[in-house]
Amino acid sequence: MTVLSRLRAALEDFGQLVLFGGETLAWAARPPWRWELLVAQMAAIGVGSTLIVAVTGLFSGMVLALQGNYALGQFGAQGYTGGFVAVSLTRELAPVFTALMITGRSGSAISTELGTMRVTEQIDAMETMAVSPVQYLAVPRVAASLVMFPVLTVVFGAVGYLGAYLIGIQVSQIPPAPFIDHTRSMVEVRDLMHGLSKSLVFGAVVSLICCYRGYAAHGGARGVGEGTTRAVVMSSIAILVFDYLMTFISIGG
Amino acid sequence: MAAIEVRGLWKAFGDNQVLKGIDLDVAAGTTLVVLGASGSGKTVLLKHVIGLLKPDRGTVRVEGLEISRLEGRELTEARRAFGMVFQGSALFDSMTVFENVAFPLREKRRGIDRDELRARVVEKLRVVDLGEEILDLWPAQLSGGMKKRVSLARALVAEPTVVLYDEPTTGLDPITTDYVDAMIDQAKERLGVTSMVISHDIASAFKVADRLAVLYDGRIAAQGTPGEVRASADPYVRKFLALWFGKQ
Repeated sequence: MTVLSRLRAALEDFGQLVLFGGETLAWAARPPWRWELLVAQMAAIGVGSTLIVAVTGLFSGMVLALQGNYALGQFGAQGYTGGFVAVSLTRELAPVFTALMITGRSGSAISTELGTMRVTEQIDAMETMAVSPVQYLAVPRVAASLVMFPVLTVVFGAVGYLGAYLIGIQVSQIPPAPFIDHTRSMVEVRDLMHGLSKSLVFGAVVSLICCYRGYAAHGGARGVGEGTTRAVVMSSIAILVFDYLMTFISIGG
Repeated sequence: MAAIEVRGLWKAFGDNQVLKGIDLDVAAGTTLVVLGASGSGKTVLLKHVIGLLKPDRGTVRVEGLEISRLEGRELTEARRAFGMVFQGSALFDSMTVFENVAFPLREKRRGIDRDELRARVVEKLRVVDLGEEILDLWPAQLSGGMKKRVSLARALVAEPTVVLYDEPTTGLDPITTDYVDAMIDQAKERLGVTSMVISHDIASAFKVADRLAVLYDGRIAAQGTPGEVRASADPYVRKFLALWFGKQ
């Protein structure tokens, strides 16, 4: 394939993804609303990912405490470690790492499940039964992601800060009072909003990409595997690109 | 008026011209079998009838509604008239047998009473000779023939007026094939449905068809009653049928 035709195929694919997003939005606004499916997806995406998100959060927080103490200690400013960790977690690490972890765990599962349903004609079958597969399959997964990405981001941040506190106080011997005081003075509501709005955007983007890649799968088991690989790669890149864009919009160049 | 009416249907995928001007009629309450070799465009034709594909040219009408022009919600509504049995059964593998068969009915009548739902599911399973003991089984626990029967029950549960069968007997043993043929007949006799069957199984086609159409290279090479098609002078039709009747 020439570079030009590959570019064209990629653009077409992107266009299809955008259309799929529009279709999902349109179907989300129409009854019937299947609350039981939403709850099931929230459990699958959210509850299932809680442990891995918490573990990742714990270690990120602990590492940040060590690094913060090391870097800030060079200026005799160890006391600021708490604030440094809290701002990093809230604005950046919690939303990004959480989204990456959910992509690996639940995004791949979404893509594989929908892909298998596509190649075994289960999606066609649903369509012939007067049920929109986009409404039945994609809408609950996207809606559940919009709820669970921010919730898990909060879990990541809270566990991360806890880990940082333990390491900072117990290992790095930072006095607790400045650790907490600087956290209070450095973290503002807009930092929280910034982090949570990122996680909302990541939730929408990741779930749409993963649903679409499954939905568009073709060519048997191999096609399903390829779809899942592309879903995870595209989602991970999209998370980093949107992270940059939103950070740029928030604080400028 | 015919229940299914296909006029001048053309469809290409890229450079591959699959359908080249198909005209077909299926009278209400009868069974039409479209016979053809693999790659003759049978499944593409069937997918046009239920609106899964859009024609490049031509029209498809089902019970007076122009399916080929409908989109979105209208198309979804129009599909309530249909039941479809897929080649690989296409049972939802994350649902039990009960949930599979209940699915179309539950979606058609949201808020349906649970006892009524169960009664209707059991009744349709009985039509295909399956008992209540399989209600809680998963599709992966069923044999190929049982899957086919469950998928037929699922296609019939919401009481469609048109049932489409995509290669219903492919990959089945002779006894199950015979059984599926009988089921197709029963659905027609007992429920009065209009059926369109896509198949390359000549023996079973002649058994269930009121009318037959032979699809070759994107065109209808012959159509009529089984007797008329058997007497066709078309060389391809003669060759195709000789594969089976030559053996008799």
